[in-house]
Amino acid sequence: MGELLNIFIKSAFIENLALSYFLGMCSYLAVSKTVKTAFGLGLAVIFVLGITMPINWVINNFLLSETGIFSTDLTFLRLILFIAVIASMVQLVEMVVEKFSPSLYNSLGIFLPLITVNCAILGGSLFMVSKEYNFMESVSFGLGGGFGWFLAIIAIAAIREKIKYSQVPPALRGLGMAFMLTGLMGLAFMSLMGIDPAAF
Amino acid sequence: MTSLVALVLSLMYTGLKGTHELNEAIYAKKAILAAVQNKLGIDAGSLPVEKVQEIFDSSIKQEVYDMKGNLLTPEQVEAAGYKGGLAENVDINKEAKKPESERILPLYKFKDGNNEFTILSVQGKGLWDVIWGNIALEKDLKTIAGVDFDHKAETPGLGAEIKDNKVWKNQFIGKSIYDKAGNFTGVAVIKGGAKEPTWQVDGISGATITADGVGEMLKRGLNYYGPVLDKMEKS
Amino acid sequence: MAQAQVAAKQSSIGFGKAERKLLTDPLDSNNPVTVQVLGICSALAVTTGMKNALVMAIAVVFVTMFSNIITSALRNSIPKAVRMIVQLIIIATLVTIVELTLKAVAFDSYKQLSVFIGLIITNCIVMGRLEAFAMANGPYRSMLDGIGNGIGYGIILIMVAFVRELFGKGELFGAKLIGATDDYLLNTQSFELFDIHWLSWYANNNLMVLFPSAMFVIGAIIWAHRAWNPSLVDVS
Repeated sequence: MGELLNIFIKSAFIENLALSYFLGMCSYLAVSKTVKTAFGLGLAVIFVLGITMPINWVINNFLLSETGIFSTDLTFLRLILFIAVIASMVQLVEMVVEKFSPSLYNSLGIFLPLITVNCAILGGSLFMVSKEYNFMESVSFGLGGGFGWFLAIIAIAAIREKIKYSQVPPALRGLGMAFMLTGLMGLAFMSLMGIDPAAF
Repeated sequence: MTSLVALVLSLMYTGLKGTHELNEAIYAKKAILAAVQNKLGIDAGSLPVEKVQEIFDSSIKQEVYDMKGNLLTPEQVEAAGYKGGLAENVDINKEAKKPESERILPLYKFKDGNNEFTILSVQGKGLWDVIWGNIALEKDLKTIAGVDFDHKAETPGLGAEIKDNKVWKNQFIGKSIYDKAGNFTGVAVIKGGAKEPTWQVDGISGATITADGVGEMLKRGLNYYGPVLDKMEKS
Repeated sequence: MAQAQVAAKQSSIGFGKAERKLLTDPLDSNNPVTVQVLGICSALAVTTGMKNALVMAIAVVFVTMFSNIITSALRNSIPKAVRMIVQLIIIATLVTIVELTLKAVAFDSYKQLSVFIGLIITNCIVMGRLEAFAMANGPYRSMLDGIGNGIGYGIILIMVAFVRELFGKGELFGAKLIGATDDYLLNTQSFELFDIHWLSWYANNNLMVLFPSAMFVIGAIIWAHRAWNPSLVDVS
């Protein structure tokens, strides 16, 4: 249990998918204009990551690897299968959100289906493969990673809402500023490097 | 359509598999040669494939030992899970997952005209994930002739410097793995600068944990070869 | 829209003004990274060196070009419901092909790029161009659009990699250009040309090697781009 909590904290703060590896930047920068949309997108990302990670783990270890049911190394199909799983899960989330919260569905608009191509989702799964986690660890990694991404996008949305009232040079306004801010936040998060949650 | 895709990809995969495996093998071999590149005056990274193969065939004798110092036969190495039965087939990271007493140790004896080196493989933990390296010892089995490190996921510019920074790696040349009194120390990486230059090197600023990992890896990893090196010295 | 009308005459394989516009727009006024805000993710980890950036740029041009061609050729036969999955499968296949090829011919780059080659699939540029262009235009024009966007992306990558490698390590393509002493404390090694130590007072700016610097550099490029081309300034 302690190890799982360890991985959750690591992937949420110390190896934050958005601010340490800069994954999922496209939606991160595009949706973070208001905290409300950022909140909705963040929740959706946590959900998608938490679901796709275990499914991808099962696929990777039971179908594609040499010890799986086909007994041959099918790892070249990994990318295709992962992205197919992600696309289907996002479709599912879309239907659920449309049913339970039509206002959120409308405000997210095109960005909900765009979670499919959010680098953070596929990137998270590929990191899971590279770190060779077991099943429970990958669930923890998925939820932690999603939570970290959620915190990151809320943070930058909050900052961007406030910075609209500052005197930013015209050419830097909007997108350029968002990049600079993200860079600064990334630098700040580097201070967390090396913390081993197990020590606490 | 999916069947077409699967067909194309599997054809490509099986077709290229040989090249992939060759590339992996050459990459590992280059890492071993990189440990002695300074002494030989070559740049291991830019050697053509045939030259790497040639050096390995003509100058390097590969042996695999167990933790007690006994030489293993190729069949025993294959039984441990490594097709090919040679030291180059042993995966040092895979070995690290086994309990200590069951591990096997690859060893490379380089002999070429005037040069004679013994190359060992060590493995440890960096900041984010595992690190490993090849250490070349001089004929006396006490002085370091060269090192080469690699890592899985260290930060570029910080931890990754153990691989990228040639000048930092060159510090290791000439260091002894025993202190002045003859005790085994490995080579320690000291933050803030080495106090005992005989067996210490300077650290890397911003990469304390990775550098500590290197020191620990050297001490523990070289110690594993203790029985083997003792036998070699006596013979 | 004018472009839709031109698209109606798509069967002509010429290289007139409209076609040239497809190639040059993404380089400036419609740049995928700085204007359309696509494809940022991979722009960060791969720009630590010029060599990796170049390999990545070529890979993206290849994938964008061919996925555009294939999708455009199939655009009338894809049922609407599975549109996204089919597009993703096309892209994923091309990226797997790139990955397998890279592993065979450029093993060092493959090792360094690792996870990020797979992330070309989620590179918004590829998907974005499929949706915005290839689904409504013929194969030839889609190919040009794909090449144009790929090159637009590649140029930004190379600019960022240039700054980061030169000021971060004092090298370009691994060849040492500026920087000083054989001092590993300053992370520099010496470089001599014509017996002169070039800019030997320069100590490597380690910030440039870390990931967040890529964000700063891109932010600066956007700033410069918009100052030079005021029509792009964000007035919201």
